[in-house]
Amino acid sequence: MKKFYSNKLAIFFFTLPALLVFSVMVFYPIIQVFVKSFYDWNGLGSGTFIGFENYQKLFRDTVFKLSNKNALIFSVFITIFQITLASVFALAVSDQKTKGRNILRVSYFIPVVLSVTVVCQLWLAILNADSGLLNQLFKALGLNYQQNWLSDRNHAIYVIAFVNAWQWMGYQFALMLAGIKAIPIDYYEAAKIDGASNFQAHTKVTIPLLKETYKICLTISLTGGVKAFTEMFIMTKGGPGNATYTLTYLMYKAAFREYRYGYGMAAASILVLQCIAIILVINWLFRDKEKKEVA
Amino acid sequence: MATRKKLSLGKTVFKIFCWFYAAISVYPVIWLLFYSFKNNSEIFVTNPFGFPTILHVENYVKAWSQYDVPMYFLNSIIVSVVTVILTITFALLFSYATARMRFKGRYLITIFLSLGMFIPVQAILIPVAKTVNGLGLDSTRWGLILVYTAINLSFATLVYYGALKALPVELEEAACIDGANIVTCFLKIIVPLVTPATATLVIYIFLSAWNEFILANVLVVKDELKTLPLGILFLQGAFTTDWGAMGATMVIASLPTILLYIIFSKKVEGAMTIGGAVKG
Repeated sequence: MKKFYSNKLAIFFFTLPALLVFSVMVFYPIIQVFVKSFYDWNGLGSGTFIGFENYQKLFRDTVFKLSNKNALIFSVFITIFQITLASVFALAVSDQKTKGRNILRVSYFIPVVLSVTVVCQLWLAILNADSGLLNQLFKALGLNYQQNWLSDRNHAIYVIAFVNAWQWMGYQFALMLAGIKAIPIDYYEAAKIDGASNFQAHTKVTIPLLKETYKICLTISLTGGVKAFTEMFIMTKGGPGNATYTLTYLMYKAAFREYRYGYGMAAASILVLQCIAIILVINWLFRDKEKKEVA
Repeated sequence: MATRKKLSLGKTVFKIFCWFYAAISVYPVIWLLFYSFKNNSEIFVTNPFGFPTILHVENYVKAWSQYDVPMYFLNSIIVSVVTVILTITFALLFSYATARMRFKGRYLITIFLSLGMFIPVQAILIPVAKTVNGLGLDSTRWGLILVYTAINLSFATLVYYGALKALPVELEEAACIDGANIVTCFLKIIVPLVTPATATLVIYIFLSAWNEFILANVLVVKDELKTLPLGILFLQGAFTTDWGAMGATMVIASLPTILLYIIFSKKVEGAMTIGGAVKG
């Protein structure tokens, strides 16, 4: 048996393909991000080493500040929107007594399986200033609320965040539904026998037991702002002006439109650091306090 | 009695809210399906909201025959299917080695591969484009396929590792005593036993590859290699005024994933969320 499992040739050929593809297409690139962020590089040749200059420029860049502000707005908006609605709907659908649970479930989840390009095009059509569904709806209802939804500097980022939240709410909903189903039914029944109402049973039993699920949901939606790109790319091109720039969009523009690859890499490395910081903070907030007491 | 009434009123409001949001969630998709069968005057003026009065099937004929949709569709199928096959194969081979075989550095390579979990694709966009270009893969489908495979490997190896660790070793031992070599054992015993994990991964990887936009947007330079998400964007730019046919294009692009979801809805939800759960 030992011989069977220590066949050197087999080990080599079993691990090689995955290691090779991963090293070339993910590991090498991420190393490049950090290395080249210290270079003045236009994408050709190897560039010149300039130390922290790209980072200094980035931190002085007003668009970078705006991107961070937008990421914060975007993250907070989608987090509140998705987690609140997903919790409520997951509780409703997990209740056996709710009528039409399957229709509700499918309705909430269906935008998740659509391509983000389709979703963006679809919402462009809905939000279209002249003939979009939303303005037509207001007209049909006799409300004077028609407007050009994506052309307002201050509101465009919220509209974009809404489109993202609309598409991915169902994802968090499904995560929570799976989390609720994993809770033993006895816990819930015990609470009911002790005289808890539905609402109390959920707030005191279900939600605290969903800690791990909430951790995952928060990580996904809070890093969503830093990573947001496609909605901006398709729906607003970062505009009006720079009003809907995000870090990823800034990075994309710097590298692929202005050929400032080194600067783009600096933005990319900040992107990685922000994502890791968010993950660490969430893990710290959700750390197991009881375990610590025992230790 | 009064509290009871209050409670049931609250319940009704809650129910209405659940159904109201369900409508917000699903109506845009239905609206898309409706307008893909309408002409412009019906979309804009006579009947913007409801079921089409006349089914303009010619929108679909036009999308399919004039707008290069079959080409994009074929590209998407090739890229997604090959990505699924490569990722599954590489991941299962790798996980089998790290979960069962004995060699130095197996923890190290397991950790190395799981690093991918913490790297957002957005971050490696620029260097990956450069790498694909440097390898001369930017005018082939291989660039996109290999990058998709690479970004899915971390997650797939983790899922397979868990599945393999949960399997008892006895079956393999019996095969070994019967004189089977490691390759036969892998193909005849392991591959069939991990089918549930494979099913989950196939769904997850297929859906993400089919819908992927950010990487495709920088890695595909040739028009004839564009996948559906890129094709739709290109067509939208070129045929802005033809809403009906554009709607039809978007319906065609979404049909495979929607059908997959309708048929295997619980499986798809499970596969998508296990992806997120491990990634988070």
